[in-house]
Amino acid sequence: MAAILARARPYGVVILLAFVLGVVPALLAAVNLGYPFRLAQLTMIFIILAASLNLVSGVAGLLSLGHAAFYGVGAYTAALLSARFGTDLVVNLVASAAVAGGIGFLVAIPTIRLVKIFFAVATLSVGEIIILVITNWYDLTRGPMGVRDIPGFVVLGMDLGSPLRSYYVVAVVTLVCIWIVHRLSHTVYGNALRALREDDQAAGAMGLNVGMMKLVIFAISTALAGVAGALLAHSTNFISPDMFRLPESILILTMVVVGGLGSLPGAVLGAIVLIILPELGRDFGQLRMVLVGAVLFLSILLMPKGLIGEVTAFDLLRGKPSR
Amino acid sequence: MDAVLLQGIVNGLSLGLCYALIAIGFTLIFGVLNAVNFAHSEVYMLGAFAGLVIIQAFAPPFLAVVFAVAAVGALLGFGLERIAFRPLRRARDEASLKSRALREATLMSSLAVGILVREFAELRFGGDMQPIPSGAMLNTPIALGPVILTTGDFYIFGMAAAMLLLLQFLLYRTKIGLSIRALSDDLIGALYVGINTDRVIVWTFMIGSSFGALAGLMVGLYYGTIFPYMGFAPTLKAFIAMLMGGLNNIPGAVLCALLIGLSESLAPEIMPTRWVDLIAYVFLLVTLIFFPAGIFGRKAERV
Repeated sequence: MAAILARARPYGVVILLAFVLGVVPALLAAVNLGYPFRLAQLTMIFIILAASLNLVSGVAGLLSLGHAAFYGVGAYTAALLSARFGTDLVVNLVASAAVAGGIGFLVAIPTIRLVKIFFAVATLSVGEIIILVITNWYDLTRGPMGVRDIPGFVVLGMDLGSPLRSYYVVAVVTLVCIWIVHRLSHTVYGNALRALREDDQAAGAMGLNVGMMKLVIFAISTALAGVAGALLAHSTNFISPDMFRLPESILILTMVVVGGLGSLPGAVLGAIVLIILPELGRDFGQLRMVLVGAVLFLSILLMPKGLIGEVTAFDLLRGKPSR
Repeated sequence: MDAVLLQGIVNGLSLGLCYALIAIGFTLIFGVLNAVNFAHSEVYMLGAFAGLVIIQAFAPPFLAVVFAVAAVGALLGFGLERIAFRPLRRARDEASLKSRALREATLMSSLAVGILVREFAELRFGGDMQPIPSGAMLNTPIALGPVILTTGDFYIFGMAAAMLLLLQFLLYRTKIGLSIRALSDDLIGALYVGINTDRVIVWTFMIGSSFGALAGLMVGLYYGTIFPYMGFAPTLKAFIAMLMGGLNNIPGAVLCALLIGLSESLAPEIMPTRWVDLIAYVFLLVTLIFFPAGIFGRKAERV
């Protein structure tokens, strides 16, 4: 499969754009149900989340277990801004990215120097702290009841709330985010991050500012999670703190692991698989988390490199024939 | 000292001992494999459920339940090691045994097994709290001056003391304990001097998991809260206690667990109850930032 993909590479961007902006909405419009549109939006939101977590956990090798909390910060920023001030989506996206990224940056200052599992546990606690603050700050967030009746997408004064229009809004934002992640991870900068992952002492000896690079990439990743949160708030119209707890972080991590740590196409594919697969068996509703657990376990055991391993992903994105 | 404060201290100590019971097993497993066992919270939960099932079926004397649950825990530890840890230890060379990839892989495989176990427990028993036969609860009040203790306080204290003594005996007086200490000191070195590391790791898991299951039983019967998600919060706090105590340091972990329990029990005096859950996480962050090697720890490479 990778070889076919590699051959299609020169037209890859065109094919991808045509697929995301043409084929999928056309198919969904043909079915003409609200639900598939929502599912498509949710999938794209999780693509952003998986791609951004992949930047930190896959490319830079910092295992984060608190990603969903930053996603929640973004969602709450957008929801409260548009509920209180009726702000535009553009403003909300920027604000969500800034708030989530800013908190990510502040949190990373003390924790980023921790290694291995200690960083994972620190991010887990930070995530729990953030969610506890959101839950308990009644005056601002209405606590565990969540925020209801969040307005749909309004861009530059235009109401883009209909299913097809909001699909396009989410699709465009997702494509932009993917492009950002792609540029970050497939340039010299991305290779520098990989050097940190493999051996940060050696990377430091080569003249990389290890601490600063980790700090910046963590902030960028959390800012992208904030963007995903803003999209979620406007596309579901309802958010509550429980939507951003540890199981959600684990779900995102599972997507990255299943796709292949460090590989952007893998993260995208992982997000699609883990959102669509449980929907196929929706009658088993309760089994969703079972499926997540089983997929995570089997992929760790049987495919440690993921669906599209990092090396293959490189060949794919560089247009070289696969090994 | 007034009675309210004294009562708070007593409650805090028994809460802290509950965390300590979990932390002991956690620390033991971490010490040997240097890997976090995220499924420990499910062993704890299944320990409580196993005790409940046994009590409902046979209503045996309490001591018999304790031994049965310890056996169930050991069995769970054995299975857990086989399913989530051993398959990832295929390579035996130094680089891959010490590699970060392996540690993260076991972290995620134990997380996945934990999710599966919890979800199946929820499918089997439902997500709600289980009704506990009234005779089995460990909450008969005993007034001691102005302070009201319950039988559970004594049982938990006794259990923690017995477990610590047993552990000291196991670690410092038996051959398997010697091997466990050797592994936790240097896995590769232990391999080179001919210790059957796989066997020692299985033993460690069995001991640690039976301690975890017993902790679940005690806490479940003491607070009357047995449900599939019961493991998450206490295990996280026990994990925090382990990190604060300095990783390989069991007495340190116990002391820190007591500290967390005491703070959580006394904090409502000075702050709204709903913020109490923050305390442990703040402790953890403060520890990680200011005492990177843990409060009682040796110097360890973690920054």
